Amino acid sequence: MTRREAAVAPRESATGAIYDLGYQGYDGPRLGRRAAVATLFWASLRAAFGLGRSGRSKLVPWGLTAIMLVPAAVAGAIQAIAPGGLSPFNYDNYLWDLQPILALFVAAQAPELVSSDQRNKVLSLYFSHALARSDYALAKFGAMAASLFIVALSPLLVILFASILASSDVTAAVGDQLGNLPQILLAPLIYAIPLAALGMAIASFTPRRAYATGAIIAVFLVTAAVGGILSEAGRGRMSQVAPLLNPFVLLDGTRNWLVGKSIPDSPVSAANLELAVFGALTAAFTLIGIAAVLWRYRRIAA
Amino acid sequence: MALISTRSLTKRYGSSVTALDALTLDVEPGIIGLVGANGAGKSTLLKILLGLLKPTSGSATVMEMDVATRGPEIRQYVGYLPEHDCLPPDVSATDFVSHMGRMAGLPPAAARERTAEVLRHVGLYEERYRPIGGYSTGMKQRVKLAQAIVHDPKLLLLDEPTNGLDPAGRDEMLDLVHRTGTEFGIATVVASHLLGEIERVCTFLLAIDAGKLLQSAPISSFVERTGTLGVEVEEGADALAERLVAAGLTARADGRSVLVDCPDERPYDIVRDAIDEMGLSLTRLEQRRHRLEDLFRTEAPSDDAA
Repeated sequence: MTRREAAVAPRESATGAIYDLGYQGYDGPRLGRRAAVATLFWASLRAAFGLGRSGRSKLVPWGLTAIMLVPAAVAGAIQAIAPGGLSPFNYDNYLWDLQPILALFVAAQAPELVSSDQRNKVLSLYFSHALARSDYALAKFGAMAASLFIVALSPLLVILFASILASSDVTAAVGDQLGNLPQILLAPLIYAIPLAALGMAIASFTPRRAYATGAIIAVFLVTAAVGGILSEAGRGRMSQVAPLLNPFVLLDGTRNWLVGKSIPDSPVSAANLELAVFGALTAAFTLIGIAAVLWRYRRIAA
Repeated sequence: MALISTRSLTKRYGSSVTALDALTLDVEPGIIGLVGANGAGKSTLLKILLGLLKPTSGSATVMEMDVATRGPEIRQYVGYLPEHDCLPPDVSATDFVSHMGRMAGLPPAAARERTAEVLRHVGLYEERYRPIGGYSTGMKQRVKLAQAIVHDPKLLLLDEPTNGLDPAGRDEMLDLVHRTGTEFGIATVVASHLLGEIERVCTFLLAIDAGKLLQSAPISSFVERTGTLGVEVEEGADALAERLVAAGLTARADGRSVLVDCPDERPYDIVRDAIDEMGLSLTRLEQRRHRLEDLFRTEAPSDDAA
C-alpha cells in the first residue's frame, strides 16, 4: 500500500481502524537538551500570551497588556496636542503607577504556564524526554520573566516613540532620548525578573490554577496592606521601613538605585536607607523564589 | 548487546513499602512483556529506567548507559507511554505530538513531518486538529502512543497500553504495539497485568512479583508442550483414570478430562485401548501446553504484596 492510497483509506468503524501505513525511521540530527529547553521556553512564552490557543486564553494577557498601554498612549496623545506639556507619566513612575496591572499579569499567567502540566500530569512526559527537571523549571521561569518584560517594556517604548514623533526636531529628539535607553530597557527587567520569581514560586506549588492565582494576588495585597498599616500606625523608624514589606517598593527602590530618579509618591525616599539595600533585598527574594521553583521540581512526583 | 540490565535494583518508598527488591535481570532486544499483579513493581521499574525515579540502591543500564549518570542521553532514544492520563486537554494532537518530538530533540521541520506520520500510523486523521480534551479514551491512548514513537526511539516503554480500552480498542492497540515492535524493529517493553495480552504480542517474558524476578524466558518456553496428554470424554472420566492407573500410567481425572503423563509413545495405545474397551465416547485428545497463568498460580502466593 503506498502512503498516498493509505491517506485516503476510508474509516471502517465508529471508533476508527488502525492502518498499517508503513513506517520510516528517523536518522536525522537529534538536537538534545539545549534545543529542548529553548523550544520549551519559546512555547511557554507564546502560551503566556495565549498564542496558538483559544480566544479565551488570549483575553486576559492581551487585555492586561492593553490596559498597560492606555496611559502611555494617552500621555503620547497629550504630547502630540500640546508638545512640551507636562505628562503625568514618565519612565520613572510608569511601572510603579501601573503595578496592579503587573501584579494581575503575574497572578493570571504564572499559573497558566505551570499549573496545567501538573494537573494533567504532562510532567512525566517532559521529564522522560531529553530535559532535566531543572531545565523545565528554568525554561518556565524564563518564559514568565520574558513575558513580563514585554508587558512592562511596551508602554515605555510607546512613550519613547510618542515623544520623538511629537517633537519639532526629530533628530534632536532621538539624540535626547538616547540617554534614556538604559532606563527604558532596565526598568522593565528590574520588575520582570523578581515578579516572575515570586509568581512562579507560588504557582509551581499547586496544580490548581485558581488557588495559585488567588495566592499570588493575596501575597501582593497582604504585603502592601501590612506594609501600609505598619507604616501608618508605627512610629519613627518603623513607619519608614515598614513599606519595604511590599515587593513593589523594593522594586522601585532597586530601579531608583540602578536607573532613573526617585518618584514622589513612592515610600522609597521616606525609608531613608541606602538604595543598595533595596537592591540587595530584591536580589534576595528573587533568588529565594528561583530556588523554591527548582526545589519544587526536583521533588515533584512524575 | 543487553538492552536493559539491572543489578540488585532496589526501590523503597518510605521505610515500609518495597517496590523493587534486589532485582537483577538482563534483557535482550525484542518485544518484552513485563507482567505482574498491580503493585508488583512494573511501573517503578520503568520509571527507574527512564530516570524519573532514583533507585534506593543497585544500578541499572539501558542500551549500556547508566541511568544514574546518562539519563538525558538515554531519554533521547526512549519513548514512554505512562499508565495514567498525561495529555493537556486544550491542545490539538498535532501540536502536542510535535511539541513532544521537539522535547526529544527533533528539529522543527522533522518534528512536524514525523508527527503527521505517527498520527497516521496510530489511526488519527481529521480529528488530530481538534483539542485533545474532546477525544475518546481510545483516541487519547493513540495520542499517547504517537508521542512515544514520534522521535523514532530505540526503546519503547509502554505502561499498561490498553488501560481503559474496550475489547475492540484493546485488539487494535495490541496489533499496533505488535507491529511497532516487529516491523519497525523498536525494542519494546510492555508492562501489563493481563497475561493474555502479553501472550499475544510479546516474544519474551519477564514476570515480577513483589519486586522480585519470578521468571525471565522466551514466551515459547512457557507455552511449549508439557508432556501431558489431555483426554476429554463425555462421561466416565474417573473410571478411565482408575483404569489407566491400574495399567501402570500416571493419570488423574480433572473434570471431564483425564490428564496422563506421557514420557514416551507407550501411553497412547493404552489410552486408545482403554477407551475402546470401556465404550466411552472420546471428544478430545490433545497435548497440554503450559499457560502463563500457571506461572502465577503455582508460584505467586498473593496479589496484595507490594
